[in-house]
Amino acid sequence: MNASYLMKRLGYGLLLMLGVVVLNFLLIRLAPGDPAVVIAGEMGGATEEMLESIREEYGLNKPVLTQLGIYVGNILQGNLGESFFFNQPVSKLIGERIFPTILLVLSALITAIVLGVFFGVLASRKPNGVLSAAVAVFSSIGYAVPVFWTGIMLIILFASVFPIFPVEGMMSVKLRDANIFIRSLDVLHHLVLPAFTLSVIYLAQYARLSRASMLEVLGSDYIRTARAKGASERTVLFKHALRNAALPILTVAGLQFGSLISGALLVETVFNWPGMGTLAFESILRRDYPTIMGVLLIASGIVVVANLLTDMSYRIADPRLRGES
Amino acid sequence: MTALLEIEDLRVTFNTRYGEVTALDSVSMHVNEGETLGVVGESGCGKSITALSTMGLIPMPPGRIAGGAIRLNGEDLTKVSDSRMRSLRGGDIAMIFQEPMTSLNPVFTVGDQIAEAIMLHQKVSRDQALKDAIALLDRVGIPSPDKRALDYPHQLSGGMRQRVMIAMAVSCRPKVLIADEPTTALDVTVQAQIFDLLNEIQRDYGSAIILITHDMGAISEMADRVAVMYAGRVIEDATADQVLDSPQHPYARGLISCIPALGKGAQQDRLAEIPGVVPPLHMLGAGCSFKERCSLTNARCGSEKPQLINHGAHPVACHAAEEGRA
Repeated sequence: MNASYLMKRLGYGLLLMLGVVVLNFLLIRLAPGDPAVVIAGEMGGATEEMLESIREEYGLNKPVLTQLGIYVGNILQGNLGESFFFNQPVSKLIGERIFPTILLVLSALITAIVLGVFFGVLASRKPNGVLSAAVAVFSSIGYAVPVFWTGIMLIILFASVFPIFPVEGMMSVKLRDANIFIRSLDVLHHLVLPAFTLSVIYLAQYARLSRASMLEVLGSDYIRTARAKGASERTVLFKHALRNAALPILTVAGLQFGSLISGALLVETVFNWPGMGTLAFESILRRDYPTIMGVLLIASGIVVVANLLTDMSYRIADPRLRGES
Repeated sequence: MTALLEIEDLRVTFNTRYGEVTALDSVSMHVNEGETLGVVGESGCGKSITALSTMGLIPMPPGRIAGGAIRLNGEDLTKVSDSRMRSLRGGDIAMIFQEPMTSLNPVFTVGDQIAEAIMLHQKVSRDQALKDAIALLDRVGIPSPDKRALDYPHQLSGGMRQRVMIAMAVSCRPKVLIADEPTTALDVTVQAQIFDLLNEIQRDYGSAIILITHDMGAISEMADRVAVMYAGRVIEDATADQVLDSPQHPYARGLISCIPALGKGAQQDRLAEIPGVVPPLHMLGAGCSFKERCSLTNARCGSEKPQLINHGAHPVACHAAEEGRA
């Protein structure tokens, strides 16, 4: 992988982020009414001094381009503004919430890819078999069912019928003073249901995609070559075929990262998971614009980074792409 | 003396939407140590199915070995266990395929792919296998083999890739090497190099080669004996010279006359052809399967299937040859 390609991709990523910042900026300016009132939120109690200080901070009395410059300057210094509803800097709010969201999204993604690919590969061995049919049915259901409905059904199931998983929050209050190991286990225990809920849709998709991708690859000449060498069926499937079938899966996983983040918003709300999703939800309800803007910016940043990583891993996985730019 | 590899009355069928279709109908052929057997015929005549059956690579289902035997040193390959077949495949019997461009896995280096074949059949370390792979690349005439071993297939030309395929196939010094149209996808100059290489390999390793081709030029250059196939059957079995000089079956004769002649006057004649096409296997009726395309048919050809019998020079499956009309 060459460095110039990496720099080019990084450059695109930065440009993209700049676009997000400008859109964010316009969001406030396009909202009806006095931007200062909008930024302060519909608190009713925004005093004239408060509004004045907001106008001062955001330079609202100055020309629009100057305002944009101030906004971008603030962001570059890590200043995402002040939430009047939470009465805290937005960067601090997000800083507290970003780890739970990333934990949730990554565990859902890994679960979906590992289980989905596993079932897909097994199904591809017998394209007309029972497992293939099961994958088809399950993926249709998984794809059709809205994520909040799955979440609520799981809550009902595990709250009343089999109360083995906590259905709300990220930590148990009574374990607050336990050691780090116990607390980590507690977080994982809380993670099971939300992560599974979020992964269901993607699990179904990956199972289907990897089945199709494997079927295509298994018909290739190089699979016949691998068999002709005397390789075992497992080596043929998981080494020779899967390495090639993984390329489209990787692409789709990267493309879907954005929708995974928005799915996380719903799942966090349903399970009261203290991440950026609940933060976005609360701030939207309160029309807490600085927080909404901050969440948007950071979420876009995560998606841009994820796409960059996908692109890189794609080039690692497929030697034919190396050396191109 | 028993043959190294002997295919006897092999019958292979496939389940298709036309019902069960017989792809190979009592095919018999054999090859001895150090010998090259040419298998010729048009596309769809069963050459590749014969090769894949021998390798145990017929997809089952829809394929099925419905009868006969494939004996390697007396061991019937149609009856051995999957794991025994795996240890023979790539070890004692190896195969080179027609499409060098797509027969190598695009995501592994060629050195790795050859080393894998070595490690599957010999108890050697990965390092040793990679060293052996480089030696093999050198053996098949690839320049700076230690560098090329680190290349991926897409970085090599078609001829190079076919050399890699050959290196992989001969990595365990197979007793039988099946080459299924190994030069079809390559330039003419490269074709000659590949044939030279196969000849050298045979001389060094003493392997028997089964060369599947529709190129009569390749047959005259490479083969000791020839089996001519048509519509899933062997219709003539003879030495290469016999087939090239005095083919008995009208189809074999047609194949020979299709070889374009070069030189003065060659342009004036229209290139010979065999009229018609191979009938679809599900539409084969009674009698000889070549009858629709043959100029020597009589009533017997339409009703009775000719058997592969020696009527004089060598075995041939043709009523006309038997009756002396050919």
